[in-house]
Formats: sequence, structure tokens, C-alpha cells
Amino acid sequence: MHELSLAEAILPSVLAIAEEHRARVMSLTIQAGALQMIVAESLAMGFLAVAEGTAAEGARLIVEPVAVTARCRRCELVFGVEDSIFLCPDCHVADAETVTGNELVLLRVELEPCESMSSTTS
Amino acid sequence: MRVDVVHNVLKLNDALAQQIRADLRGRGIFCPNLISSPGSGKTTLLERTLEHFRGTWGQAVIVGDLATSRDAERLAEYAQTVQINTDGGCHLDAAMVANAMPHLDLDGVDVLYIENVGNLVCPVGYDLGHDAKVALISVTEGEDKVAKYPRLWREADVVLLTKADLLQYVPFDVARFYEDLRALNGTVPVLEVSSMTGQGMDAWFEWLTARRESPNAQEPAA
Repeated sequence: MHELSLAEAILPSVLAIAEEHRARVMSLTIQAGALQMIVAESLAMGFLAVAEGTAAEGARLIVEPVAVTARCRRCELVFGVEDSIFLCPDCHVADAETVTGNELVLLRVELEPCESMSSTTS
Repeated sequence: MRVDVVHNVLKLNDALAQQIRADLRGRGIFCPNLISSPGSGKTTLLERTLEHFRGTWGQAVIVGDLATSRDAERLAEYAQTVQINTDGGCHLDAAMVANAMPHLDLDGVDVLYIENVGNLVCPVGYDLGHDAKVALISVTEGEDKVAKYPRLWREADVVLLTKADLLQYVPFDVARFYEDLRALNGTVPVLEVSSMTGQGMDAWFEWLTARRESPNAQEPAA
């Protein structure tokens, strides 16, 4: 997967939040659907690399996985998808839209006030 | 301190892709995005396609590779072509397409083909502003690529089983291929084609023609 370019896409949003709160980033949580095939370790390592020298340097990137579910277009049944089998258990046809599993979302950021900045504001 | 955000990691890419899509549709240009592993026959398929529609449609190509301009040199014999070198990047993104577009004269163009970097995983996640995802799998790759790389087949608007003329020489399990594909996507059209012999190519040309006439029929999955 393209974990490094995803890390690059995540960084500006995280830095904007850090700047807004005049804080350093301690950790961030990414929600990743199983269909994205994200390798959590690679994304965390990629983020460490791109965040070097920024307010997010050394921040821990946590990946929160989301299982795949789908809704049958024929009978509306929502079912869990395992081993990439999108067959509706009732209709036995794979005519289903993905409900969850495609997510790639920055969910939350943990911040710690930046000392140099907080001293100027206090 | 905890800050809850909830925003799409690829929102910048997706916003730019929507601009590209609006721009292309405003000019009446249909844009298919060809995705497959390296060596499954994207460039040869495009050569035959450009040749077939020469004189019927204005055509242009954006082609992505990690390195070299070899594909662009091949395709430039048939239509204006821009090569994007990703310098190691595993996929095209919307910014690369936006940067490539000014290098093409899009006046009079009816179809802009995008040949993505050969890769079954990364290109699937990036919206390029295309109207349709065309997924290729060659019989020489083996039928197991469908089950191993599920997302592409889920999101494809059409699946081309390429090099179909070689079926008699390779141990490609056609029944298993359809079984795995139908477990992922029960409705996607599948066309068995050979760019070398011309087998099945009329069905591909018909699919392109029909889809170009109604690109809005189905919103592409990003």
C-alpha cells in the first residue's frame, strides 16, 4: 500500500490542529476500513518520517480497524463480510453496497500544550 | 487534551478529483481510468482502442509509470499523450492528473484515457476525476489475483479478462475466476478479450461507446 503518501496526506491536518491549539501532538488515531488494506506499522513508521521536525515529531499513530459490512441491494439485509465474500446470506448473490470497510479517517488527536508557546500566553 | 476531528484523510485529493470531473464533463470528455497489475496489457489494449476509434473520437491519454516514457512513446503514435513519472510512487493521484492536463490540447477531445501505474492495490483508493474504473486481469497472472486484491474488483465498472487467446496454454481456472469475482461483485460486466487476436474487442468497444454516452448512469466509486 501507499502508506507513506497517506502519512503525507494526514500530516497537514494534524499540524493545523496542533497550531490552532498551540500544542504538540502526542498521538493521533486513524480509522481504517479493512478494504483499504492499510499496514498499521508502515503507516505509523511513515508518519514518524514525515513528521520529523514538526509539532507532530515522535507522535504515536494508532490505527483503529473497521470490519467490512455490506447491504444487499435486493433484500436490504446488512451482513458481515469475511474473506472478501460479499454474497448475501439470504439471496446468495453479490449485489451489495459496502456499508463499512472503506473508511480512511483522521478520528482524533491527543495534544499536549507546547511549553514555549504556553509560557508566552500565561 | 483530546481533539475529535473525523475527517477524510484523502479529502484534498477527492476535492481536486471532483473539480477535474466537473471540468471534463463540462467539456463533454469521457474519462476511463485503467487499473491492473504491471504487464496485464493496458498499453496494448489502449493501442488497439485508439486505433479503432481514430477518426471517430478525439482521443488523448495520460499514462503513469514509475519511470521511463516508453508507454507514452508507444501511444503517441495514435493520440496525444502525456507521461507522468511518479518516481517510485505506486499510484496516480488527482494532483498529478491536474498537472498533466495542461500539457494536452483538450479541444476536440471526446475521450481522455488514464492508464494508471501498474498496481492492484494503491491506485484503487485515489479518485482521479474519472468517469469509470476499468479493471484488467490477464490470464497469465492467475485467477487468484481476484480474491487476493478484492477492492479493485468491488469498485470496477467493467472487468476485462485480457490475453484470452492464451487460455489454452496457461493453467488459468476460468470457473474459479468467475466464482471469486461473483462473490465480490455479482453485477460487474466481464469481457474476455485479446488485443493480439481481436477476440472480444468489439464488446469492449461497445461498452466504451455506451458508457461514454451515459457517463452519469452510475457515479464511480472513488
